[in-house]
Amino acid sequence: MDRTRVLLVDDEKAITNNLAPLLERAGFAVAVASNGEKALQKTVAFAPDLIVLDVLMPKLNGREVLRRLRQQGDWTPVILLTQVGESTERAMALEEGADDYLNKPFDPHELIARIRAVLRRRGQSPGEKPLAMADRLRARDVTLDRPARRVEREGQALELTGRAVALLEYLMLHAHEVLSRERLLDAVWGWDYPVATRAVDARVVELRSALDDDPDAARLIETVVGQGYRFVAPVEADL
Amino acid sequence: MLTLQLRADVGMLLLLVGALLTLLGLPPAVVAVYAAGRRARELEAARAAWADDRRRFLQRLDHELKNPLTALRAGLANLASLSVGPERDTAQASVEAQLTRLNRLVGNLRKLVELEQRPLERVPADVGELLTEVVDLAIEPPDRQISLTLLQAPWPLPPASGDRDLIFLACYNLVDNARKFTRPGDAIEVRAFEDGRWIAIEVADTGPGVPEEDRSHVFEELYRGDNARAVEGSGLGLALVRAVAWHDGGRVSVRSREGQGTAFTLRLPQTRPT
Repeated sequence: MDRTRVLLVDDEKAITNNLAPLLERAGFAVAVASNGEKALQKTVAFAPDLIVLDVLMPKLNGREVLRRLRQQGDWTPVILLTQVGESTERAMALEEGADDYLNKPFDPHELIARIRAVLRRRGQSPGEKPLAMADRLRARDVTLDRPARRVEREGQALELTGRAVALLEYLMLHAHEVLSRERLLDAVWGWDYPVATRAVDARVVELRSALDDDPDAARLIETVVGQGYRFVAPVEADL
Repeated sequence: MLTLQLRADVGMLLLLVGALLTLLGLPPAVVAVYAAGRRARELEAARAAWADDRRRFLQRLDHELKNPLTALRAGLANLASLSVGPERDTAQASVEAQLTRLNRLVGNLRKLVELEQRPLERVPADVGELLTEVVDLAIEPPDRQISLTLLQAPWPLPPASGDRDLIFLACYNLVDNARKFTRPGDAIEVRAFEDGRWIAIEVADTGPGVPEEDRSHVFEELYRGDNARAVEGSGLGLALVRAVAWHDGGRVSVRSREGQGTAFTLRLPQTRPT
């Protein structure tokens, strides 16, 4: 069977030299590109199943590469490596259709885990426009207008903090995946601190109360004991 | 004759108007020149202070990086010369510990940068509930007496206005800091009260105190007083507290007596009673 092909794009040789063999050992066929222009060329030549894309690069930065791919209708799954955990950068990454993102410095095993998770998720609807490209998401009676940062339930706008909206967005875009508190922190807050997993719990409480979701019989956000949270409702693009 | 007189009058009038305008215009002009000079001097002073801050920060950063890097080099040299066995495991663990340390430093620096750019989130935050959580977390191991007092009279504590996650981080850092700088058996008191304008959160301890010369520096990034060198930490905990206070429109201060103890006070704007 053909190995899954991963294109690794980073201008820092020290990173690609160490990550590429690690990904190979994890069972992937790996090609490396050292800048954005080469990344676009290799996307054609190598036909990767997934692209790991650094944001800060000379010539063409990662975000621009992603934008061009998506403009061409290329839905190859992309994991963005963000340099600064700047919240705006993360919000933009999602709006431009990245499937996931990871803050540098990261644990390489976490990268492998996310590659597998993205492939699993996207493998269920191959060739389709990814959910991450949709402006509006819907799950049961809840709709999320991503550019407007607005959440409605049964057509009624809900009052939510910015971070609760960002958390809901991430959960919906990763529906059916068990997401650890640490990962949610890294993705939505961009931070990690020893005790902050409680910050995640507090926002989940906020979301559940606004969405009228019973933790003991979750329609939307389920607690996976000892592991984290999972968005259990089917999510679709709301056109 | 009349025309001549008129011309003289007009001339005089013009002279008077001119003089008046000069009189009116001159003082602002003088003030403006003076103010420009003062502004330039202030700017120059601010620039010098900024350059000083920057130099001090880079020196401290250099210092914070040196030790883990030295340990990493030694650890890698050990790894290269050791074959499989417990000694190699020790060397590997020490390399990983240094990486964790560098990771934490970078992570905290990132938080500081992000705090400056983070959009303000102003939501009423229940300080009592938040401090209860902080104290619950800090109580282990039980070698310090940590107490929490939430003043209830003349009325219960109103909610603070700000970003709950950030306020939590700041309070946790203050209590964590108190733990680090006290000895087993010392008391740490956490209390919160309001004074009409602010919600004041105080974390006081019976620890060794902060020497006077260090007090004005404790909130600076990577600052370590002489007695803080032996204490493990990123050197950014209190800087983060200050950054949170500024971000949320509050302030933070310290008072201390050597040999007696220290109290940090975080003041946050309170939400208006409805």
